[in-house]
Amino acid sequence: MSRWGLVIDLDRCTGCQACVVACKHENNLPFSTPETADVGRLMTWIQLVAADLPGRPMPSSLPLMCQQCDRPPCTDVCPTSATYLNPEGIVAQIYPRCIGCRYCTNACPYAVKIFNWTEPEWPESMAGMRNPDVSARPKGVVEKCTFCHHRLIAARERARVAGRELAPEDYVPACVQICPAEAMTFGDLSDPHSDVAALASGPRAFRWMEELGTQPKVVYLREGE
Amino acid sequence: MIRAVSRASVVVCTLLAAACGTNPTQQVSPAVYSPAHRTAADAAREFFNIRSKAEQPIPFPHKTHIAKKAVCTDCHESVEKGPIAGIPSVKTCMICHSQIATDKPLIKEVTAYADKGVEIPWQRVYGFTHESHVRFNHAPHIRAKVDCAACHGDLAQQTVAERSVDHTMGFCVNCHTAKKAPNDCLTCHY
Repeated sequence: MSRWGLVIDLDRCTGCQACVVACKHENNLPFSTPETADVGRLMTWIQLVAADLPGRPMPSSLPLMCQQCDRPPCTDVCPTSATYLNPEGIVAQIYPRCIGCRYCTNACPYAVKIFNWTEPEWPESMAGMRNPDVSARPKGVVEKCTFCHHRLIAARERARVAGRELAPEDYVPACVQICPAEAMTFGDLSDPHSDVAALASGPRAFRWMEELGTQPKVVYLREGE
Repeated sequence: MIRAVSRASVVVCTLLAAACGTNPTQQVSPAVYSPAHRTAADAAREFFNIRSKAEQPIPFPHKTHIAKKAVCTDCHESVEKGPIAGIPSVKTCMICHSQIATDKPLIKEVTAYADKGVEIPWQRVYGFTHESHVRFNHAPHIRAKVDCAACHGDLAQQTVAERSVDHTMGFCVNCHTAKKAPNDCLTCHY
């Protein structure tokens, strides 16, 4: 069984936010206005946050998405099991099960689970540009980064049709695919020969807020070493 | 018994919700009743599994075609290739019916559609509601040698296709469990 993980090299990240745009487009996230952002209702699954890292004079910009914790605080509080840790280590969010209680958004120390305060809306000119592989989330449910799980399902199906095993390059999330600085590496942490496994156990690796014991599967690599 | 009580309580809640909706002093008109249902009536209909019956423009007799040794994939061509089995184009009908039974009144209707170059507006019989966020792919099921009849009933006994099998989550999960197929929620709901 795979254990999907993501490594982000902060030394390479330029803070260009291409990952933010790619994610929004891939996962059919509606646009937000400055007004909605001001009241903390920005619809985004990944965003750059200013993080004070030890040994750095200036705050670093940290691309922050669901950390896909191995001990997720959000799943513990979900009263309907709408969010749970799936066997491959992805923290799932099942929209028809979600009752919108927002316990999970409050339990998440990374504040990366977002609640749909309104029905999703797009400009008319974007009608044909939405990704048919991802459902639009209705008003009243919580959503989050899923490591582009729909891509895994599509990739696995393609591999099965071709009669071969899933190769590492078959499945990458949209943010990893777009990153122009190649700061992001995605793969199977349970495979000792994978790039992610090597980077995640390297000397520069750290996990954001790891002192909380959430055991994230998103690993950052320190700058300037 | 518990099921009956819970159903009765849902009916009461639904009636209460409906009563609130008709209160003229209340200006709030909720756009959605719940994340999964637009109105209370929609929720009640789904709970009691009441769905409108598909009315076909031409009463297509599956029984007659299967009796003449036609197989499902002759017309539902993409069932082995991808998610959607495909409702055949009128051109597919005309492959045979430009020659066969051309004098029958129903076939004349089909020919009229073909001559006008418009598709027959077939209605979907099965399918999941948008709110259920269910994604289904035919191809892996065909590869796993699931018989069409397992989910669609014995079409050889049906004239116009009817929803003879209830595609509830329990129906899917039971088969997945029996065949040791993945039962993770994310397999279908995303």
